[in-house]
Amino acid sequence: MTVKVRFFARFRELLGTDISVEPENGTTLTDLVRGIAKKNREGCDAIFDPEGNFHKFVILMRNGKRVELRDAGSTVVSEGDEIAVFPPVAGG
Amino acid sequence: MIAIRKDDVDIGRLIAAAKQHGTGAVVVFDGVVRDDDIREMELEAYSEVAVPELERIAQEATAKFSLLHVDIVHRIGRLAIGENILVIVVSAGHREEAYAGSRFIIEAIKAGVPIWKKELTKDGSRWVPGEHAHGLGKTK
Repeated sequence: MTVKVRFFARFRELLGTDISVEPENGTTLTDLVRGIAKKNREGCDAIFDPEGNFHKFVILMRNGKRVELRDAGSTVVSEGDEIAVFPPVAGG
Repeated sequence: MIAIRKDDVDIGRLIAAAKQHGTGAVVVFDGVVRDDDIREMELEAYSEVAVPELERIAQEATAKFSLLHVDIVHRIGRLAIGENILVIVVSAGHREEAYAGSRFIIEAIKAGVPIWKKELTKDGSRWVPGEHAHGLGKTK
């Protein structure tokens, strides 16, 4: 299974973007993001709190649709998914 | 025109195109890079989500305020002080609808379209904090 993970803004600077990963079946969105983020301490701290939970301001999307943070731990990723992780928006 | 792009836009042409039959007012919002002791601004977008979101906002504003025409052009890339960041052109039969429609669109963009700004200063850079941590694309 191949899944693409895209980070934006500050998260992109810390962790890169358009990252192709091959998670095992049953991997949750939280596990997927944590697995990438833990490779960079600053990036991990930017996204997760000391308890390992997403910071409340983090926004997650799966295939262009918002996933609430409380659902990330029970959302299992699928073949071809595009996961986006980003901080609050600031356009305009 | 609804677009996210690097190139600037000819506002005069947008105004001309906005003058549809029945137009009594055209309102232009032009957001520009402010000189907040910065050198330049760098913008990035999640375009695959941001463009459909801009289209949805334009449709909602059109229905809500009886707009006759809507253009939204948001720029990305590196922009100098004074350059256009966001151009919104709306037309309506009357000024009340045109002003209200324009205001609705800019506030909706700030609340929920995945675009980010980074200010480049002489000492480094800083990301502009978002005003709405939880505004974007709430799960329906």
